[in-house]
Amino acid sequence: MLPGGVFNTRYDSDLAILRTKTQWVLLAMGLILLFTAPLFADDYWLGLLIDLGIAIVAVLGLHILSGLCGLISMAQAAFVGVGAYTVAILTAQVGLNSWLCLPICALSAGLVGLVFGLPCFRLKGFYLVISTLAAHFVIIWCFEHFESVTGGFGGLHLDPLSLGPIDLRSRSAFYCLTMAVVVLATFLAKNIQRTPTGRAFVAIRDNELAAEVSGIPVFRYKMLAFFIGCLFAGVAGWLWAYYQRTVAPSHFQLIDSIWYMGMLIVGGWGTTTGVFFGAISLSFLDVLLKDRINPLLVRSLPPDWAGQISISTGLILFGSIIIAFMIFEPRGLYYRWEKLKAYYRLHPYSHVPVPVKEDEEKEGEMDDSLG
Amino acid sequence: MNQANRNKLLGDQMGMAQRLLPRGRKTILIALSVTAAGIIGCVILFYMLPAGDRDQALGAILEGILLGGVYALVALGVVVVYKSSKVFNLAHGAILMLLAYFMWWLLAPTGLPLWIALIIVAIASLLIALVIDRFLMRPMIGQSGLTTFILTMVLGFSVIQGIAVLLFKGKPQVMPPIFPSGILTVGSLSIKYPWLSAFIVAAIMFLIFVSYFRFTRGGLAMRAVSEDPIVCQSLGIAVKRISAISWVVGCLSAAAGGILLGSMFPVDQSMGNFAIIRALPVVLLGGIESIPGAFIGALMIGVAERLAGTYIDPHVTGFSQLLPFILIVVILIIRPHGLFGLREIRRI
Repeated sequence: MLPGGVFNTRYDSDLAILRTKTQWVLLAMGLILLFTAPLFADDYWLGLLIDLGIAIVAVLGLHILSGLCGLISMAQAAFVGVGAYTVAILTAQVGLNSWLCLPICALSAGLVGLVFGLPCFRLKGFYLVISTLAAHFVIIWCFEHFESVTGGFGGLHLDPLSLGPIDLRSRSAFYCLTMAVVVLATFLAKNIQRTPTGRAFVAIRDNELAAEVSGIPVFRYKMLAFFIGCLFAGVAGWLWAYYQRTVAPSHFQLIDSIWYMGMLIVGGWGTTTGVFFGAISLSFLDVLLKDRINPLLVRSLPPDWAGQISISTGLILFGSIIIAFMIFEPRGLYYRWEKLKAYYRLHPYSHVPVPVKEDEEKEGEMDDSLG
Repeated sequence: MNQANRNKLLGDQMGMAQRLLPRGRKTILIALSVTAAGIIGCVILFYMLPAGDRDQALGAILEGILLGGVYALVALGVVVVYKSSKVFNLAHGAILMLLAYFMWWLLAPTGLPLWIALIIVAIASLLIALVIDRFLMRPMIGQSGLTTFILTMVLGFSVIQGIAVLLFKGKPQVMPPIFPSGILTVGSLSIKYPWLSAFIVAAIMFLIFVSYFRFTRGGLAMRAVSEDPIVCQSLGIAVKRISAISWVVGCLSAAAGGILLGSMFPVDQSMGNFAIIRALPVVLLGGIESIPGAFIGALMIGVAERLAGTYIDPHVTGFSQLLPFILIVVILIIRPHGLFGLREIRRI
């Protein structure tokens, strides 16, 4: 629902993403805050935000693939790896310009995604998930075993990134680059779901047969969803490669794909805002766990437990959180946020049940049409 | 659809509750001919080999069959849970790993006798099954299969993995020998005793589970629930209890598989992935609903893996680790419902 006193009087005001002056002011302030963060945040926080930004770009791709089109992919981390390896191989062994690699990375990840998306011609539901699961392991196996190209288990190293005279080696410069990519990716992802293509994705997600009958070429759109989703993953991989400056198979584990999926589930299935809710909340928890809770546990427990705590607490906690969201609130944090906004806007009559806004960001649960 | 077809379909569906082997002469024919073609191909290849290599090939096939028996037991757990509650349990491998670690812990650092350890592991698997069924699966009743699939995936790859690392430190361990060690020599072939014993135990347990489904009332109820849970509910079958029983059977098979795999290979953190990654093509090849299919599929996968390990690995390092995934994708593309499974009839 809209804020009080705001009415759609023209068609383009109905279409607009931002409708009130307050929203414009908030957006401008948010962007200014985002890009001036290096002035007052230290390297530790900037590093965390870069990690978060890269995760958001990858999850936005997964959001288009899984949230909009309903094709669950468990290979997103491997596709990020494809992007990262592409730039590492092209700059180290072919000597290409690193900025030229950015579109090539996106394209190569997209093409690999197309190859592994081919089974969706015949498969649906969890059969497709199994095939993407297999795709993940096949891709990682390729990283590990084509040693002459990929450097095997040791991986590859990259030279630092620079843009003309500007050296992007420092955290703050790289932070600004990452955030620029994040803003751009968000803008794209938000708008893809408002175009006919995005509508077709949603139609396929909600009812494949109905979509086919309405004249949507289902297979072609599914492949397109795979391609777009993996484009985002490739860009995330490019950022990742230059952030870490080393690329190895152990960086792209199945568990990362599960985290990406978890961010989508925790945030809310099928909304761009949900991606941000999920990624920010899980990353925040991760930091809290790694830097506050784990040291406390290590200090208070007997020393022979210390080794495994850092690995296991994260696995147990995040897994439990994702499972709890699937059981208790499958619509995710986004839905709660919308309810909170509706409560505030209706304030004296908050007890009146109001359906949450359902225009372009239809909260999609994983419904029967998928399974 | 005309009346005759509908009757045929109805008859097929009703027949399914009574027969263990799924319906359709054509399906069985295809499955048998594929198996026969595979065997004939293997035999022809075998005789084309020079005499010295024949022993190697035969040894690989034999090892593959022994390994396949254990895979069958592991895959059985997945099939049973799927049959009764339509939940594809990806946490199976992780549960297997946890229980194998538990068995090792009971035997090696604690030093309990084997039979007490076996009883404790059985009780532990029972508890795990009941907890998963009551607190994770019961609230998900009515959700799509995909949601529960992702739930078991998160459970297996994240939560149970974390618990295993926390409790058992995630280091590779060697389970104390359960079976007599040594090598049995038949002609020019040599078979490791632990592998042979593991196969025999796995086959016996598989038979016990299968005869439970085939010949008892509980098994009949389970097969009925796999057909239509709502009708079963209205006929007075306790569907929730059936689902709990199927989880118990699944976890028991995980425990047995874990102990057997632990007696063949070292027990470590990747054991769960190893098991579930083998169980997936087995289940898919056999057809997800079919128990005999799981057995035949397991033997085929085991043999294929060992043959690849013997003949392809020297040329392409680590190919046999990749093989299950290639098989998964190929099976899914060519025949998603497997050799013996049900072809999905899509309704609007």
